[in-house]
Amino acid sequence: MTQNMLEVRNLVKRYNGFTAVDDLSFEVCEGEIFGLLGPNGAGKTTTTRTVMDIFKPDEGRVQVLGLPPGAAKEHIGYLPEERGLYRDLKVLDVLVYLAELKGTPRSVARQRALAWLERVELADWAGRKVKDLSRGMQQKLQFVASLVHDPQLLILDEPFQGLDPVNVDLLKRLIRELQAEGKTVVLSAHQMNLVEALCDRILLINHGQVVLYGPLDEIKRRYAPHAVRLRTPAALNALPGVTRMERRDGTLTLTLDGTTPQALLQTLVERNVPVEVFEVATAPLEEIFISVVKKEENDA
Amino acid sequence: MRKIWTIARHEYLVNVRRPGFIIMTALVPLLGVLGLLVASFFGGQASAFFERQFAPEPKQIGVVDHLGAFTPILPAYQERYHLFANEEAGRAALEADEIITLLVIPQTYVESGQVMVVSKGSSLDAAMMGDSTSVRAFFVDHLLQDKVDPALHKRLVNPIEPVLVSLEGEGEPGGGPLSTALNFIVPYFLGLLLVMSILVSSGYLLRGVAEEKTSRVIEIVLSSVTAWELLAGKVLGLGALGLTQVLVWLASAFGLSGGAVSLLGVAAPLLARPEVFILGLVYYLLGFLVYAVLMGAVGALGTTMQESQQLAGIFSGMAAIPLILNGFIISNPNLPLLRVLSWFPLTAPTVMMLRLPMAEVPVVDIVGSIVMLILAIPAVLWAGSKVFRMGLLMYGKRPGLGQVMQALRGA
Repeated sequence: MTQNMLEVRNLVKRYNGFTAVDDLSFEVCEGEIFGLLGPNGAGKTTTTRTVMDIFKPDEGRVQVLGLPPGAAKEHIGYLPEERGLYRDLKVLDVLVYLAELKGTPRSVARQRALAWLERVELADWAGRKVKDLSRGMQQKLQFVASLVHDPQLLILDEPFQGLDPVNVDLLKRLIRELQAEGKTVVLSAHQMNLVEALCDRILLINHGQVVLYGPLDEIKRRYAPHAVRLRTPAALNALPGVTRMERRDGTLTLTLDGTTPQALLQTLVERNVPVEVFEVATAPLEEIFISVVKKEENDA
Repeated sequence: MRKIWTIARHEYLVNVRRPGFIIMTALVPLLGVLGLLVASFFGGQASAFFERQFAPEPKQIGVVDHLGAFTPILPAYQERYHLFANEEAGRAALEADEIITLLVIPQTYVESGQVMVVSKGSSLDAAMMGDSTSVRAFFVDHLLQDKVDPALHKRLVNPIEPVLVSLEGEGEPGGGPLSTALNFIVPYFLGLLLVMSILVSSGYLLRGVAEEKTSRVIEIVLSSVTAWELLAGKVLGLGALGLTQVLVWLASAFGLSGGAVSLLGVAAPLLARPEVFILGLVYYLLGFLVYAVLMGAVGALGTTMQESQQLAGIFSGMAAIPLILNGFIISNPNLPLLRVLSWFPLTAPTVMMLRLPMAEVPVVDIVGSIVMLILAIPAVLWAGSKVFRMGLLMYGKRPGLGQVMQALRGA
């Protein structure tokens, strides 16, 4: 995780006076899964389109693998949010053509496409037309189309949209496998539980500006609600530093004030309270996301 | 370059297999065959008409000579003209279909020039009598017989033997009126071909672009290749497709109308003035490129097929302007208006293709128009790919003129 796979510096992009991306800077390191998050209209798609050289930046600089965006196209796989495939073509032909456009020789593209179709359980459909596939199958096909040319960096915009739980799981597994193979993944998604499960670091943007940026666990710790979760068969009396006690499904959530989880645990041990589960509570990413974005809206 | 080739190949192969393309391509030859079948069905009547019009076999004409200058009929005319003693006998022969027309020449003919023409049914034959050169010769030969010098006599029958010399054209090579006509027809046909293939392939370009835009596949494609490469690849691939279709149509038309005629049509002017033919091809190719790029860019602007087609109509109309001005081109190929149009890249190909065979076009016009076209192609490609790129990513709303201008300036 040393080299910067993607570097965005002070990126600005405006449309007709509206600033979609406003002085945005971030890096994506080699081999990580990077979450690019934000509410609708935050500037995610504009940012990825600039990285893909579909848009030119008004200000700032974008570098992919140390190269300007136009020169690195063949090393990037892109699954756009606004997506579709040639509906009247055969599945295999679509994959081969799109890989050829990325500079992969036809015979190589064919082999890889067949191997990938196998991997996503679509091998039987290789000779069928795209429009004969179900929505979920098309979604998987789109995913495959973004990586037949064997890119080093994969940008996935809402890859889980429209997938059933079984296929969500399949895709999750594939993304992890790709990471294990040394690929770098930029993932944009609205399903925060999936982002939490997959991403190493995240960038949360709103109104085209950075709101949160850094390693996921660090961010979660920073936004921890200052509480612990405790499961015990014993009844609890008042504890020093605990302002609130809430019981749900046999688990207590203790809100702390003026004490640390460590001190509380010590107190419990001293009082001989049998502890089955004790953990520092963290907020789900979803809550962090909502609270941060709402705060932004209120401040604005 | 390789990506452009990949796109061109893909566009060609995908579209050439489309049922719509195959049906459209097969339709014209099929209609031709159908036309032939219909013609042969009604052939009896039609061929009788054509035979009467063009058959070398002369029609028999009756003559009632009250003047006396036509009795006896000269040996050269005896096969075709028959004397009748009086009008009644002549009318009877006409009634019996022995003759097709009866000429009654009165005593006052020399003073009045009036001749009564009696015919059955149609008055067409009577009307044509006065203009017919053979009838004219019949009268002159009989009236002047042995009265004037033979050479003068010959001139009176055929006063003008035209020798064509153009003021600008030096020593027009021989080949007669046929060669001149073909010299005009073939490039005119090429001009027509250009307009046709512009319309055909721009239709495919529009459709292809609109399809990629509505199916959203465009964003994936644009993340792999530049808009420039995409546009160039499409222009080449779909251009080849349009050309294929037009060639199939032409081949079938030639095949149906007899290969010999078409071969002659292409070969004769090629031999007479090869430079006209070669320049015609140059204009065809350059013109095609300019228009195809324009059509691709315009296709990307519309949000629906209809919208794109309306926008494209403006440009395909320009290609057809010279065909509308054809009358001027024939009467004066070097009219100032035509010279101006020759320098304007959008009208240059067709105007020049029509001007070239008609006269010696000033070299400055040829060089100028070709240079303008060569300069225009990269300019149109550059501007076109910018507009193309902007248009492609705008869904649901057609970009206004302001946005188009903004796209051209930068972004």
